[in-house]
Amino acid sequence: MSGRGVWLRARARLRRFPALLGGCGEQAAAYGRCVAAAAAGPAELRRDACLEEFRALRDCFARAVGPGARSGVGGCAFPRC
Amino acid sequence: MVLNLSFRTFPLALDVGSGRGYIAQHLNKETVEKLIQADIAENALKNAVESEIPTVRVVADEEFLPFKEDTFDLVVSSLSLHWVNDLPRAFKEIHRVLKPDGVFIGAMFGGDTLYELRCSLQLAELEREGGFSPHVSPFTAVSDLGHLLSRAGFNTLTVDTDEIQVNYPGLFEVMEDLQGMGESNCSWNRKPLLHRETMLAAAAIYQEMYGNSDGSVPATFQIYYMIGWKFHESQARPAQRGSATVSFGDLAKINGLISRGKK
Repeated sequence: MSGRGVWLRARARLRRFPALLGGCGEQAAAYGRCVAAAAAGPAELRRDACLEEFRALRDCFARAVGPGARSGVGGCAFPRC
Repeated sequence: MVLNLSFRTFPLALDVGSGRGYIAQHLNKETVEKLIQADIAENALKNAVESEIPTVRVVADEEFLPFKEDTFDLVVSSLSLHWVNDLPRAFKEIHRVLKPDGVFIGAMFGGDTLYELRCSLQLAELEREGGFSPHVSPFTAVSDLGHLLSRAGFNTLTVDTDEIQVNYPGLFEVMEDLQGMGESNCSWNRKPLLHRETMLAAAAIYQEMYGNSDGSVPATFQIYYMIGWKFHESQARPAQRGSATVSFGDLAKINGLISRGKK
């Protein structure tokens, strides 16, 4: 899995991110608030501290992308794939 | 960076990290008679913008300037030194190629540049992946800059700082713009991948922590402006210790001192 085709497709997917994110403002804000609060707290921010909120955001995002499309786990790579 | 050098004409100047020749567009023949543009990127030089001043373009590494010492009356550098690996060495090179009584005028990105982006990515990576690596280039701190310039041999230093905030719709637009500016991260030890989930998380954090009331997000560019001179006997020197003729304690009587001086 390499080559310019993958790179262009990945970039095209990434370009849609802002518009898709726009429809998930509530979930994004909730996640952001959670992280900000955890980071400002007495303990260090640990992994999955805001798992619930992120799941909600990711699910909203996946719904916006549409069924059957790959929305964004793992792998690539802004800006290089 | 606007150069107001109307008090002096520089016969030979060097632009270090000239890129496509941005500075040359803003110079005129009264200020600089001949300009050498040096950059490590040959493509940038090949696509350089025209200027009214005669220019020579040289592919060169800032750390190994291919010029003899005491060559240039003026060296300028605008927003390219953050890419240099060995900055102390680059400053020493600039000092070396300057003539005595020559001056270095530079602008470079400062420590607060893109702090919103850096923090958002860092927090997102911590929360999503449990650790983080640098995604925003390291920028020099202003206190370090003064020391670096001194150690390179410059006299009569001036270091000034300015902050420009540019508003963007969101994190993705910030990163796309940086790419367009040729400013993708240059750290050696960065992880090449930024997982999409992490980017999604970072975008949400950026918006929540730094967002403006109109929904846009700010990206800060902090710029240090620096001026350093190469020593020449004609330059003013600080007075010798112990040569003062008035005391700070007399500051309250300054009106009397001034009128006494006028008599």
